[in-house]
Amino acid sequence: MPIYAPTLPPAPDLSLGQPPVLVLMRFDLARLWRQKIGRFFGFGFLALLLFKVARIYVGHLLQTNVALRPMKDFAQSILTQGASFQADLLSPASFLLWFLVALVGGGLVARDTLYRVRPLIYAHPVSPRDYLLAKLGFATALPFLILLPFVLLPWLMSLLLAGLDGPVWATAPLRLLPAMAISSALMGSLAVGASSLAATPRAGVSWVLGSVLGAGALAGLLRGMTGIAAVDALNPVLLAEAWPQLLVGVEHPLVAWLPALLGTALHLALWTTLAVRRTRPSEAIL
Amino acid sequence: MIAFENLEVRYPQATTPALRGLTLSLERGIVGLLGPNGSGKSTLLKTWLGLLTPSAGTGTVLGVPLGSEAARRLRGRIGYMPEYDALIEDASAYEQVAFWGELSGLAPDAARDRAHEVLYFVGLDEARYRPVSGYSTGMRQRVKLAQALVHSPALVFLDEPTNGLDPDGRRRMLDLVLRVHAELGAGVILASHLLGDVERVADQLVILDQGQIKAAGSMAGLRRALARRVELRFLDTLMPEQEAALAELGTVLEARNGLYDLELTTADPAAAFRWAQAQGATLIQLTPRHDRLDEVLLRALHGDATSMGGN
Repeated sequence: MPIYAPTLPPAPDLSLGQPPVLVLMRFDLARLWRQKIGRFFGFGFLALLLFKVARIYVGHLLQTNVALRPMKDFAQSILTQGASFQADLLSPASFLLWFLVALVGGGLVARDTLYRVRPLIYAHPVSPRDYLLAKLGFATALPFLILLPFVLLPWLMSLLLAGLDGPVWATAPLRLLPAMAISSALMGSLAVGASSLAATPRAGVSWVLGSVLGAGALAGLLRGMTGIAAVDALNPVLLAEAWPQLLVGVEHPLVAWLPALLGTALHLALWTTLAVRRTRPSEAIL
Repeated sequence: MIAFENLEVRYPQATTPALRGLTLSLERGIVGLLGPNGSGKSTLLKTWLGLLTPSAGTGTVLGVPLGSEAARRLRGRIGYMPEYDALIEDASAYEQVAFWGELSGLAPDAARDRAHEVLYFVGLDEARYRPVSGYSTGMRQRVKLAQALVHSPALVFLDEPTNGLDPDGRRRMLDLVLRVHAELGAGVILASHLLGDVERVADQLVILDQGQIKAAGSMAGLRRALARRVELRFLDTLMPEQEAALAELGTVLEARNGLYDLELTTADPAAAFRWAQAQGATLIQLTPRHDRLDEVLLRALHGDATSMGGN
C-alpha cells in the first residue's frame, strides 16, 4: 500500500510536458487500443498483408524453382512490374480502411461532444488549433500507418528476393508514400469533419459512412446524367484509389489528374472547414 | 487575485453585451459567485479563463491582462471544475486525471504520479482504477475536483461543486473546498446557487444579475451589515418629520404597518433608544434582524443592494 503525504504536495514543473497535440493524439490511440474494434481490424489487415507478401514469395518460387517452371508463364501474368501492380499493393487494404476510418474516426470528435469534455479541454492551455490538429493528425496518421507495411514489406521482400528485377519497383515507396499521405489526409479530414457534425460516436460513424457513400452516389448520379467522367472526383473512395494510380503512372487511372486535384482540395477544404466551425470555443458551453 | 474595471464582454452578433460595466477587485481567498441562470456567471468564468476577449474595459487574472497573448498560458495556472459531467466515461479516474495533468503541462510520468496523489487527496482510493461510468454522483464530483487540482493551480473555479450531493457528500465536498484554499493556498471562485454552501466557505461574495454586479464585498462586511439590521416599533405612529429624522439613525430599508426595517449607522443598538428619546417617540420594540444570505441575494437582485462593507 503506497504511503501518501497527509496533504497534496505541489505539482512538479509544468514546463516539462509534451505539446497538447501529442497528448491528445496519444489519448485517442490509447482509447483505440482498449477497444475490441482494434483487434478485429488488426486481424483483417494482417491477413491482407500476409496475402500480399505470400503472393510475392510464391512468384519468387515460381521463377527460381525448376519444378515449378511450367507455371512461370502464369506467374508472369500476375507478377508483372507494371504500374497497375504497384498501385494495387494498396487497393484491398484501402477499402477495408474506409470502414476502420468510419468506425474510429466517427467517434473522434463526437465522443468529446457526448462527454462534454471539449470545453474542459479549452479550459486548459490548449487552443482550438491544437485540438483540431490532434484530431486530424490522428485520423490521418492511423490509415497512413496501417498502409505503410503494405508498401514497405512487399517492397523490401521484392528487393531481397529478386533485387531490382523484382515485381515491386525499387522506386515504388517514393511514389506510393505521397499517394498514401494524400489518401490518408482525405480520409482523416472527412472522418473528423463528419464526426464534428454528430452528437454521439454512433451518429458519427453514420455521418462518415453516409458522407462517403452519399458522395459516391451523388458522383455516380451526376456521371450518369452528364456523362462527364471528371465528376467521379466527388467520390472520396475513388479519389483515395486514384492517387496511387496517378503517382505510379497507371495508363487509365480511375480519376484524371486535374479532377483528382480539385476533388481532393474540395473535400479537404469542406471537411476541415466544418470541423473548424464545429469545434471552436464559442460552441463550448461552460 | 482578480481585478477588472469597466469590463464589457459581448458575444459576436449579440445586440446587448453579456457583461457590462463590471468593476471589481477580488483578494486571494474563497469567493462566492451568486446569481440566477443567465446572469452572466458562465460568461465571466469564460472571460477569466481567456476564452472570451473583453470588448471594453481592462482586467487582470493572477496579474495577467485579460485578452492578452499570455492568457492561454494563464490557463495552466487555473483549475476549472465544470458544473456538468465533463468526464471521459470510457476511462478510469486515474487515466483521465493523468490526461488532464498532461494537458496542463506535466510530463507523462509526473502526471501519472500526480494523478495518484490528487485522487487520494479527494478521497478516491482503489476506485480510481475503475471506469468512471460506474461511479456515484459524489465520486464523479470528486474526480472533477481532482482534475481541477492536478496541476497545483493558483486559482480554482468551482462551478456548483455540490450539485446532486446528499448532505454528507455536500459537507465533505465543502470541507475539500476549504482545504484547497487552506492547505494548497489556491484562490477559489465558487459559483453556486446553494447559498448555504457559499455562506459556509466563502470569505468574499459577488452577486451578479443581467450581466451586472448587484453587490460585492467581503462576507465579514456582509455579516457586519447584517448585524446592524434591526426592526423598530414605536408606541405611536411617527410623525412625518420624525420619519424623516430616522435617516440620522440609519438607512430605512422598509416601513410598513408601523414597523421600520433599519440598517443602523452604528453597531450600538442603544442608539435607537437615545434617538427615540431625543425625538419624543416611545420605542417599544427593537428586534435584531438575522437575515439569511438568501434575503440579501433577493434584495440585491431586486435592486435594493445592501451595503456589504468594504472588500
